[in-house]
Amino acid sequence: MNTKTKYLLKLTLAVVVLLISVISINQSFDFSTVNLDQITAEKPLFGADEFKYEAPTADAGDSALSSKINWAIFIFVILLVLVIANTLDISKYISKITGKETINQNEINKWIMLIFMIVGLAAVVWEYQVHGKLILLNNSSSEHGASYDSMFTITLALTTIVFFITQFLLFWFAFTYAKKDGQKALYYSHNNKLEVIWTIIPSIVLTVLVLRGHQTWKSVVYAEDNYKGKIKKIEVFAYQFGWKARYAGEDGVLGNVDYKFISGKNELGLAYGPEVDDLLVELKDKIKLDQEAIKNLKVTLASLNIDYSAADGLKDYTTMEAIQKQIDDVMDGTTLSELEASIKRKTKQIDRIEAIKNNPKIFASTFTGSEEDDIITQEIHLSKDSLVTLNFRSRDIIHSAWLPHFRAQMNVVPGMPTKFTFKPTKSTTEAKKEFGEEFEYYLYCNKICGTSHYNMKIKVVVESQVEVDAWLKSQQPVFKKVEAVPAIMNAIDSTLATEPVNKLALK
Amino acid sequence: MSTVEITANPTIDSPTHHDEHGHHDHHHKQSFISKYIFSTDHKMISKQYLITGIIMGCFGMGMSLLFRMQLAWPDETFPLFESLLGKWGKGGKLDPNYYMALVTIHGTIMVFYVLTAGLSGTFSNLLIPLQVGARDMASPFMNMLSYWFFFLSSVVLMSSFLVETGPASSGWTVYPPLSALEKAMPGSGLGTTLWLVAIILFIVSALLGGINYIVTVLNMRTKGMSMNRLPLTIWAFLLTAVLGLLSFPVLLGAGLLLIFDRSFGTSFYLSDIHLNGVGALSNSGGSPVLYQHLFWFLGHPEVYIILMPALGISSEVISTNARKPIFGYTAMVISLIGISFLSFIVWGHHMFITGMNPFLGTMFMYVTLIIAVPSAVKTFNYLATLWKGNIRFTTGMMFAIGLVSLFISGGLTGIYLGNAALDIQLHDSYFVVAHFHLVMGSAAIFGMFAGIYHWFPKMFGKMMNKTLGTLHFWLTFISAYLVFFPMHFMGLAGVPRRYYQFSLIPEFDIWMDVNVFITVSAFLGGVAQLLFLYNFFNSIFRGEKATKNPWESNTLEWTTPVEHIHGNWPGAIPTVYRGPHEYSRPDRESDYFPQNDPGNGEPEHYHAPVPIDTSYSGPKEKPSKVFFSSFAHLFLAKKVQA
Repeated sequence: MNTKTKYLLKLTLAVVVLLISVISINQSFDFSTVNLDQITAEKPLFGADEFKYEAPTADAGDSALSSKINWAIFIFVILLVLVIANTLDISKYISKITGKETINQNEINKWIMLIFMIVGLAAVVWEYQVHGKLILLNNSSSEHGASYDSMFTITLALTTIVFFITQFLLFWFAFTYAKKDGQKALYYSHNNKLEVIWTIIPSIVLTVLVLRGHQTWKSVVYAEDNYKGKIKKIEVFAYQFGWKARYAGEDGVLGNVDYKFISGKNELGLAYGPEVDDLLVELKDKIKLDQEAIKNLKVTLASLNIDYSAADGLKDYTTMEAIQKQIDDVMDGTTLSELEASIKRKTKQIDRIEAIKNNPKIFASTFTGSEEDDIITQEIHLSKDSLVTLNFRSRDIIHSAWLPHFRAQMNVVPGMPTKFTFKPTKSTTEAKKEFGEEFEYYLYCNKICGTSHYNMKIKVVVESQVEVDAWLKSQQPVFKKVEAVPAIMNAIDSTLATEPVNKLALK
Repeated sequence: MSTVEITANPTIDSPTHHDEHGHHDHHHKQSFISKYIFSTDHKMISKQYLITGIIMGCFGMGMSLLFRMQLAWPDETFPLFESLLGKWGKGGKLDPNYYMALVTIHGTIMVFYVLTAGLSGTFSNLLIPLQVGARDMASPFMNMLSYWFFFLSSVVLMSSFLVETGPASSGWTVYPPLSALEKAMPGSGLGTTLWLVAIILFIVSALLGGINYIVTVLNMRTKGMSMNRLPLTIWAFLLTAVLGLLSFPVLLGAGLLLIFDRSFGTSFYLSDIHLNGVGALSNSGGSPVLYQHLFWFLGHPEVYIILMPALGISSEVISTNARKPIFGYTAMVISLIGISFLSFIVWGHHMFITGMNPFLGTMFMYVTLIIAVPSAVKTFNYLATLWKGNIRFTTGMMFAIGLVSLFISGGLTGIYLGNAALDIQLHDSYFVVAHFHLVMGSAAIFGMFAGIYHWFPKMFGKMMNKTLGTLHFWLTFISAYLVFFPMHFMGLAGVPRRYYQFSLIPEFDIWMDVNVFITVSAFLGGVAQLLFLYNFFNSIFRGEKATKNPWESNTLEWTTPVEHIHGNWPGAIPTVYRGPHEYSRPDRESDYFPQNDPGNGEPEHYHAPVPIDTSYSGPKEKPSKVFFSSFAHLFLAKKVQA
């Protein structure tokens, strides 16, 4: 059997298998019965538990079916590749047998280069028109955003021109200077003047861009220093996985904070005496619990073993696995070392808090009392047309606060305060008119931070100063509950409420 | 061990030995292990690097397809996820943590394992001794160690998929505190430890390899091979090795400090942290930004470690297949050196908005935009090399042209990102994803493909199927643009990167169909790679037998016999008489002039009596006029004068 017949046979075989697989895909799945609701899950309403949402899973029958389809498609693709490969192989062998080249590939590729250029550049123009409309440009909602947008437009214009010229030249050269028989290329190894020209031109263009960029950068990052008046400060607090905002209360001062003071009731770690005292008690209790747990490790192990046998009797394999993991942890000392580390950590935390309490000077500067009327909120409300500084603080790891519509972004770094100053110029109502009724400003997390990174956002509202004040009034200060108390109770408690600043009961 | 025996083999280092014997065929028999596994022959090591790189590339690309599926169809279930990933794809839904893990390992594999080791490891090993005229690397044994450290590192990295808590998942940059705290996310447990171990092994491999490359290039050039006669590939590999040697140790330091923070309770990167479920940590005084500085001190040179070999390869391939000397050899070398130097002082442009002092941001912006100048010069030189060439579209050539196109597209967006002011908005958006995938990902992988297709005859003694190669090129090229070009617009519209799904944010709904389009295009690219795999492995065994110098190239590697032998040349090492790019010299009959050809008294460089083409230009002495008239020439599309 010669090579040609061998390859033709192979091709036929591949085509047959391909056809069979196509038919089998077709028959395994009746496309008319697809109920779209099974595939497209309903989107949940936006609420507190939105990232607990899981799309309803398809039932077992569907899943088996869809698995079949996936495999069929996979096999189909593989076969397709094999068919193409073999066809091409055959053309090679045919040209070998017949002794002449079946196709002049150089000629074909030359034309594809040209077509690719034309279609490609046309597609780029199309992209600019269609998707270019969706980009955030010339619609910024902040003052510096306008200068940012103009900077961007200049860069966009320059790079687009260079893009079109260079890509055109590249493919045009590829097309025109494709190999011709009997032709020799031009021996042209260098031209110093030409090279100097095309070194200097980009240098000048880039210098212009860099100087312009420098100006914009300076105006953005030094906005706070450049402004003489008083700028309102709002603390934006990031944690896995959410944001909180903190506004100064009536005194206009944001109270002191320390990560060591963070507890269940004091989420932002404000230096509020009574809460810190509670935290100390809580920590000491936890240490005791940990110590007991260490003492009772043997008992725990025994009870785990009993649980395991019970689960074994019920053939409950998931529970068995979970218990086995706990048993392993106890056996190999993981539990013990974790408990010891926890005790050490908490002891250190207590020591450090005590150190603050015991040093009168530090004590006075930490517990100033200005934290008491601070307001912690689930939304950020900014007043239109006035500068605001967002002070960023992270509880755990690095996050990044991105406000795309305001052209503002800053990383939120644990242990290192960062800030961003800007002036919102477009209220939410105005933005809704521009972007649609559904539109809301959001601050997104833009630094990979774990499981729910993709859903870590906080709503931002821009409105008039009056509206912001009214909204703030409706929010509860964290620790000062005076307004909530009826007037008569207030009178009774007035002695307590007007206690001196030192609320930390020294024990 | 059998390896030592080979190292001690005097034939490798002594040319005189060869001269005495005249031929080399009666080399002592090698066992399977010493020939294919613990080989110290640079050609075999290069093949080992390549095949390991290809396998890692398959993993890397496969992962990207998986997470692209999640991004395109976030609300659907794919039983494929469950069958592949087990508990991480329960019910056919990809777990968000595992999404992060896939993104992380995809990045790590592509940056380090494919584009650093797979690209530079393969071609530095293959080409340095062959193109400078050396019998082998300066230290073949270290070279072998380098490969095996790389292999070990790959195994350790991939083994993190077998860990209960999953592989590292804090992004390929593994920023602490996320990567430092076991309780911050599942992947930060054993997975990250394995990642760090893998990277440390990788660094060892890169250093062992790098020292070898540098020493070989500087000390083992054959007679007549002065530095200004080195092919641009070798310049690129040399500078790449220097970059690696100076920057990888810094990553080693960063990694070690991270290991200390993770396991021994130090606080280099940790301060003031209250972790959910753990409480306030005792660490204080450290700075997470320190890690970023250390990481990007490697990270930025790393970009050029990836890119420069690709640029070197494309210079060589373009020059050979355009049948023209590379335009401005000296300028090309100077821009490579310029890029290498500048790459060490621009790392801060990755950190404009990390809270670093804004003044530093200004400085980094200035130097970053300076680095655009040598890159622009290189682009123009490529264009000038193609101009009036006699271009043969071999597969390698097409990939090299594709590289230039992608390098332009991706490089131009670097001008946005290097600008601190613009970076405020663009940082960590899809615009960045588009930028680096074009300029460093796609461009470098195109350089790698160009190299594979061009030097396949040298590596395996067979030719690859050209038609399949053409198909592979066009599909890959089209899919690269279809995948990455729309991402620019997504980023500009405010879509953040590394989001597991966009369907929870109504504003991003308009991008859902684009996401589907990108994923489908990515699958097209994936299918194209199957063509490549078939072509590659099929050609190794069943390919057409290659001739000695199939591309009619000038460089020394094509003077060695098709069958690989220890010591590369059966007789004496050839002497070099001129530079590597002397194509189409008017004073020669044939259109190439091998470096080892003594010629008939032709000068080293041909100085044309008349500068260039006389058909259309005015006064020939004015290059600026020549430059502009060449544009005019384009539009008139006149016939080329030979």
